Amino acid sequence: MSLVEARGLTKIFRRPEKDPGLRGSLKHLVQRRFKEFRAVDGIELSIEAGESVAYVGPNGAGKSTTIKLLTGILVPTAGTVRVAGAEPHTDRMVNARNIGVLFGQRTQLWWDLPVRESLALLRDMYDLSPAFYKQRLERLDEVLGLADLLPVVARKLSLGQRMRADLAAALLHQPKIVYLDEPTIGLDISVKDRVRQFLRELREDGTTLMLTTHDLGDIEDVCERIVIIDEGRKIFDGPLAQMKDRFARVRRMHLQLAEPTPAEKLAERLPDVEVIAGDSPTEVTVTFDRFTHTAGQIIAGVLDVVEVGELHLDEPAIEDVVRKVYAGELLR
Amino acid sequence: MRRTLRIYRRSLGAHLRAVLEYEADFWVLIVAGLLFQVLNLIFLSAVFAHVPALNGWSYPEAVLLAGTYGFVNGLGPLFFEGTWRLAGKINHGELDYPLTRPAPVLVQVVSGGIGLHGVGDLIGGGAMIGWGLAHSDIDWSPARIGGALLLLASSATILLSLIVVGNAASFWVGGNHPVFAMTLIRTGDMAKYPLSIYGVAVRATFTVLVPYAFISFFPASWLLDKESAWIGLLTPLVALYCAYLARLVFRHGLRRYDSAGH
Repeated sequence: MSLVEARGLTKIFRRPEKDPGLRGSLKHLVQRRFKEFRAVDGIELSIEAGESVAYVGPNGAGKSTTIKLLTGILVPTAGTVRVAGAEPHTDRMVNARNIGVLFGQRTQLWWDLPVRESLALLRDMYDLSPAFYKQRLERLDEVLGLADLLPVVARKLSLGQRMRADLAAALLHQPKIVYLDEPTIGLDISVKDRVRQFLRELREDGTTLMLTTHDLGDIEDVCERIVIIDEGRKIFDGPLAQMKDRFARVRRMHLQLAEPTPAEKLAERLPDVEVIAGDSPTEVTVTFDRFTHTAGQIIAGVLDVVEVGELHLDEPAIEDVVRKVYAGELLR
Repeated sequence: MRRTLRIYRRSLGAHLRAVLEYEADFWVLIVAGLLFQVLNLIFLSAVFAHVPALNGWSYPEAVLLAGTYGFVNGLGPLFFEGTWRLAGKINHGELDYPLTRPAPVLVQVVSGGIGLHGVGDLIGGGAMIGWGLAHSDIDWSPARIGGALLLLASSATILLSLIVVGNAASFWVGGNHPVFAMTLIRTGDMAKYPLSIYGVAVRATFTVLVPYAFISFFPASWLLDKESAWIGLLTPLVALYCAYLARLVFRHGLRRYDSAGH
């Protein structure tokens, strides 16, 4: 059995439906109307031990809700979840020992306490032995630079420091699986790199990772597998490379021509592709669907009209694909 | 259970250390708590300046009653202060992390803060109890001392349970502030005066519906051998019932919790 198994996982929230203004609110008091909202809609998901999965989708797609269902914070409306054999919302305590959770937008550190005290409280809750605790702190200090942060009260930490301390808090008990909900949100480049580096090391240690993010750099740096959801439904699940193959159909070729040539002239020779003039009269960009044309056909077509000086082909970027998903282009 | 208690103690201890960092606050809060009890005393004195007794309760007895209520009330901020932050936590989705930790959520919530004005209440209330006892006519015996301590523990359990029940209402009521709990607990302030001065409806409400009368009035009645003193001996049962209710309400509430955002 997989480490994480979700079958037909569904969460429906009930939202009060009010007309605007005070009148609407008063009316709602007497005549209560609710609207149902499917945040997660029949998700099937299996994650094997040691995998690192990116869970991606536009805002409001149901990413965080899924994480909350997998961690046992929310009770599913329908469907089942098993994490390391336990049902998270019923076997909450058992599940808690297997998992580590980080919500990038929120801290789990006790606001008024020094980081050291927060970690010590977690040590007590997870029943960590003093020796194990010490060893973990040393290890986490190595990769996260924790030592400076230990005496600082949580509310005095900068965002980057807070995220490092929160990562330490989430990983203190060496969980089998770690859920990270936007672990790099709001961080500057250098801290982001540090966090990603840390996540890679974690993956190499054999920890199973599931992370939601809007930062595509996180995905390419850390994950091998990507799951894309939209409107609560899964629309892609597979290796990162396969996703590019399947969805990144459009290729873009930039050409440096030997002499000025109008884009229209090339377009006549190359039906079904888009030819756009570049910054100078000798530059053009050709955009084509790699399922209908090969790069060779495009070059041959251009050479019929004009000599080519230089060319380069854009690598299909995961960003393009995800952007399209976000724009709703891949759904239909 | 022992593990749970240890987690509770450690968490409370950490918060105590945090609060003690601000020495000025510490003294201000304790003096504030004390002042509150002194105000109670002044009010009682004003009343007893005009009447020799209040429905059969002498001045020292009334002081004992008010002192008991004040003392028990000091335990709330000291040991259950975190409970008052529940509404905000629910509203902001801050129970997410507690739900992912291997410790009871209620314990994590309850121990999430400490209010040092409770110390002032304890000192003030304690002094009033001491003075009241010294000036009342009580037939002391080992059984009576044991009984008094048991009733005090029971009355504390009742109040702390009511704090949990009131705050757990936030799972249903929503909103950022514990309005319901505030109303519930502040209404209980009526219980620092002899219950017999109120009408039947109020008495019935405070005995059966929300058992404030068991926090101070009935236990004190038993100790002072007042009319229907035996009801005071029901206090431990009421305490068990309230603790059970608190647990039940919190559990059901927690199941309704649906975090924030999605």
